[in-house]
Amino acid sequence: MKFIENTKINFMAFKNVGFTLSGVMGIGSIIMLLFGINLGIDFKGGTTIGLNFNEPVNIEDVRKAMSSVESDGQIFDLSGEEIKHFGSTDDIMIKVKVRDNVSPDFAQHIVNHVYETMNDNVPQDKNNFILSLDTVSPKVGTELSGSALWSILSALALILLYISIRFEFKFAIGAILALVHDIIITLGIFSFTGFEVTLSTVAAFLTIVGYSLNDTIVILDRIRENMKSSGTVLLESTINKSINQSLSRTLITSLTTLLVITVLLMYGGATIRPFAFTLLVGVVIGTYSSIYVASTFLTTLYKSN
Amino acid sequence: MKKYLKVLNSFTFKVITIMNNTLRTRLLTILFIFGLGVYALLPSIRYQLLSDEQKNNLSKDEVAYFDSKSIKQGLDLKGGIYIVLEVDLPQLINSLAKNKDRKFDVFLDELSNEYRNSSADFFTAFEQKALENDLKLPRYFISYGKTKEQIVEQLNIQSNDSINRIIEIIQNRVDQFGVSEPTIQKQGNNRVVVELAGIQDSERARELLQSTALLELMIVKDIDSTNTIVRQIDNLTTTSSKKNDEIDQLFNSDTESNNLGFSSLLIAVGSDLAISSDNLPALKNILNQDNVKQVLEATGSLFLTGNSTETLINDFGEEEEVYLLYHLVDNAELTGGVIEDAQMRLSQSGVTAGQATVQVEMNNEGSREWARITGVNINKRIAIVLDKKVHMAPVIRSQIFGGATVIEGMDSIQEAEDIAIVLRAGALPVPVAIVDQRVVGPSLGADSVSAGTSSIMIGLLLIIIFIVFYYRASGLIASFSLLWTLILLLGVLALLEATLTLPGIAALILTVGMSVDANVIIFERIKEELRNGKSVRSAIDAGYERAITTIVDANLTTGIAAAVLYQYGSGPIKGFATVLFWGIIVSMFTAIIVTRFLFDFITSRKNIEKLSI
Repeated sequence: MKFIENTKINFMAFKNVGFTLSGVMGIGSIIMLLFGINLGIDFKGGTTIGLNFNEPVNIEDVRKAMSSVESDGQIFDLSGEEIKHFGSTDDIMIKVKVRDNVSPDFAQHIVNHVYETMNDNVPQDKNNFILSLDTVSPKVGTELSGSALWSILSALALILLYISIRFEFKFAIGAILALVHDIIITLGIFSFTGFEVTLSTVAAFLTIVGYSLNDTIVILDRIRENMKSSGTVLLESTINKSINQSLSRTLITSLTTLLVITVLLMYGGATIRPFAFTLLVGVVIGTYSSIYVASTFLTTLYKSN
Repeated sequence: MKKYLKVLNSFTFKVITIMNNTLRTRLLTILFIFGLGVYALLPSIRYQLLSDEQKNNLSKDEVAYFDSKSIKQGLDLKGGIYIVLEVDLPQLINSLAKNKDRKFDVFLDELSNEYRNSSADFFTAFEQKALENDLKLPRYFISYGKTKEQIVEQLNIQSNDSINRIIEIIQNRVDQFGVSEPTIQKQGNNRVVVELAGIQDSERARELLQSTALLELMIVKDIDSTNTIVRQIDNLTTTSSKKNDEIDQLFNSDTESNNLGFSSLLIAVGSDLAISSDNLPALKNILNQDNVKQVLEATGSLFLTGNSTETLINDFGEEEEVYLLYHLVDNAELTGGVIEDAQMRLSQSGVTAGQATVQVEMNNEGSREWARITGVNINKRIAIVLDKKVHMAPVIRSQIFGGATVIEGMDSIQEAEDIAIVLRAGALPVPVAIVDQRVVGPSLGADSVSAGTSSIMIGLLLIIIFIVFYYRASGLIASFSLLWTLILLLGVLALLEATLTLPGIAALILTVGMSVDANVIIFERIKEELRNGKSVRSAIDAGYERAITTIVDANLTTGIAAAVLYQYGSGPIKGFATVLFWGIIVSMFTAIIVTRFLFDFITSRKNIEKLSI
C-alpha cells in the first residue's frame, strides 16, 4: 500500500492559514473557558448519584420526587438540581450542590427518598438501585483541583527540560507551545459540549500531553536529523521535507489511535464517554499541531535570531 | 543531568547490543520473557475460568492465593465504598486543653472554621490563630511544655498518636465486619483512606467507621432539678427572644411562634420529656446559646436526646414522631474503656423479648466501679449513652455485680451487631469526618468491565485488520507483537499486584492504539531506505537503527507524563498512570526487540529480495 508516500506538500506555504486557524480556535476556546467550564464534584465538592430504574424513567418524575427530601429532620427541595439520563433512559444521574450543615448521610437519604417515592419502578434490592454515589467536600475539591493543575504544570516543566537536553531549547519551546495549544483548544471544545471535567478528564488531558508530544517529537527528530546536513539556512524547506517524510507515520498512527478511541467512545459505556471524547478531540488537534504549530514556531524562533 | 544522559545512552546501547546478539540468545531471552508473562497471568486466567459456584466454594488458602496472584480489580470495577476520613484535629486540641475559658472557645471556633475550609497545615494555622487571638498557650497546655515551640511539638506528637490509634481501631472494626481485602491507609497527616470492596450500604459503612463508639454511663437528674433548669432556660430564651420579637414584628409578625421559650418545645411523656423531631433544629439552637450553656455548666448537667424516635399521639389526635429528651449529670460515671466484650443477643424475656440487644462484659476494674455506682445510686436512673445519644435509661433497682450490662433500644439485629463491633474495637480518641466518599454499585462495575473488555477486543481486531491490510506480511509481524504487548502488560500488572481501575482499562486500550506507533515508525523508515535503493537486509538494519532514537525520545516523554500522573494522581488515576507507564515499557520491548528478531530470523533463513511491507 502506498497512498501517502513521497508526498511533497508545501506545508510552510500555508503557515499563515495555520496561525490564523490556531489563533481563532485558541481565542474561541479561551472565551468558552471564561464563560464557564462545567467542573465536576471532584473539583468543587458536592454529590453525584447514579440510579438504575427497572424501566425507562421520566426526568420530571425524578425531579418531582426530589422536591421534598427529608434528611435528619430537615426538608430539602432538590428539584432545582441537575438531573439527567445517564447512558440509557433507565438510568439517572443526579448532581447536587454542596450544602452547609447537612448530615454525612445526605446522599444516602436522597437515594432512600427517591427509592421509596418511586417504588413502582425500582429494583427489589436497593444495592442494585444505586449505580454510584459520590460525595466530595469542598475542601477536598479545592485540593484535587490544586493537584490536578500542579500535575499538568509539572509534567510540562519536566518535558520542557527533557527536550531541552535531548534537542535544543528552541525545539522545547516549540513543543511546549504545541502542547499548550492542544490543551487550551481541547478544553475549549470540551466546555463547549458541556461535558463535566472530572479526575478522569485530567488523566485524558495528560494522555493528550503525552500523545501530542510523541507526535511532535517524531517530527522534530526528523528536522534535527535533516538540519545536520542542511543547517538552518533553508529552514522552511528542511521543515517541509521533514514533515513530508514523517507524514505517513503521523497519519497512520493517528488513524490507529483514533480507531481504538472511536471504539471506546461507542462501546466504552457512559462513564468512559467524556474521557474518550477528550482523547478524540485531543488526538485530532494534536496531529494538526505537531505538523503546524511546533514547526512553524520553530521557523519564527530561528528567524528572529 | 550528565549521569542521566549516560544512563540513557547506555540504555540505547544495550538495546542495540541485544539486537546484534546471536539469534539463539535473542530467541531464548524473548521466550523467557514471554514465558514469565504467561506464568504471571495464569492465576488470573484460572480465576476467570472458574464458575460463580466454584468461586464461592474456594477455601481460605485458595482465596488468598488468587487475591495475591491475580490482577486486582479496583472498586470502580467490582463495586464497593471508598471513604476518606479526616480527623477532627481542633476537637483533639480541645480535649487536650486545660483551664479553658471564653477566649479559648473563640480561638477554637476560628480554628475549626479554618480547618473545615482551608487545606493549610493545621499546626501552622494553630500557631497563627493563637497569635492573632493573643492566646497564651502555656496557660492551657502547661503539661505539654513551657514554650510555644515545645507545646506545638508535643501536640503534633499527640495528633500523630491519635491518628495511628484511629487507624488501628478502624482496622479492628473492619476486620470484625468481615470485608475481603479492605485497605486502610494514612493519607497526609490528618486523613485515613478506607476502601471496602463489595459493600454498597454507605450508611452502614459510615456508622461503622465514623461512629466514635464512645460509651458513657451517666446518671439522670431528678425531676425537680430538671424542672428548675427548664424554667431557668425558659427565662433566658423568652427574654432574649422578646428583644428579637420587637424587631421581628416590625418586619414580620409570623415569626413570633418560632421564638417561644424552651418549655413550649417540650412534650411530657409520663415522667420523661420529649421533643418533636420537627423541633430538633430549634432545640439545638437553644442549647447552643452562650447563656444557656453557662446555666447548664453551672449545674454540671446536659441535655441529650434518645437515639431513635418514638411515635406519640399528640393533643390533636395525630401521630407525631418524637425524641425523648434526657437531663443528665455531665460527668460519665463509667466509659467504654472498661469493656472487655460486647455481643449481639436477642432478648429472652419481658416486653422486649425477641428484640436485638447488646450484651456488654466489663473488665475487673470496670465491674468493681459498676458495682459501686449501682450501689450508691439505687432508685436513680442511669442513662446508657453511645456517641452522645441515649439508648436507654433504666432505674437501678439493686446493686449489680460482675459487670454484665445489657443495652437495649436497637432498631435491628444488624444495628446491634454493628454496635457490638464498634464497642469491642474500642472508641475513637477523636471524632472523624467524611470528606470524600465514593460508592460504586456492583452493576455499574460489571457493566464497565464488559464494556472495557469488548472495547479492547474490537479495537485490537480493527487495528490488526488495518495493519495487515497496509503492511501485508510485515503487518502480521506487527500484529503478533501487538498481541504480546497486551499479554505481557497484563502479566506485569499481575506481577506488580497492581489494581486495574476503569481508567486503567482505558489506558490498556490506549496502549493498544499507541503501541503500533513504534512499528509504524520503523516500517516507514525501512520503506524509505528501500526506496533509496538499499537491499532488504541493510534496509531493515538501517530502518531499526534510525528509528530507535525517535522511539525512545517519543516514549520517554509520554513516560514522563505517566510518572507525573502517578505522583500526583489519586486512586483511579494512579491505576491509569501505572498501566500507561508499563504499556510504554512493554510496547518498546515487543515493537523493537521482538519484531526485530522476527525480521532477522526470516531474512537469515531465506534470501528475501522483496520485503512485503
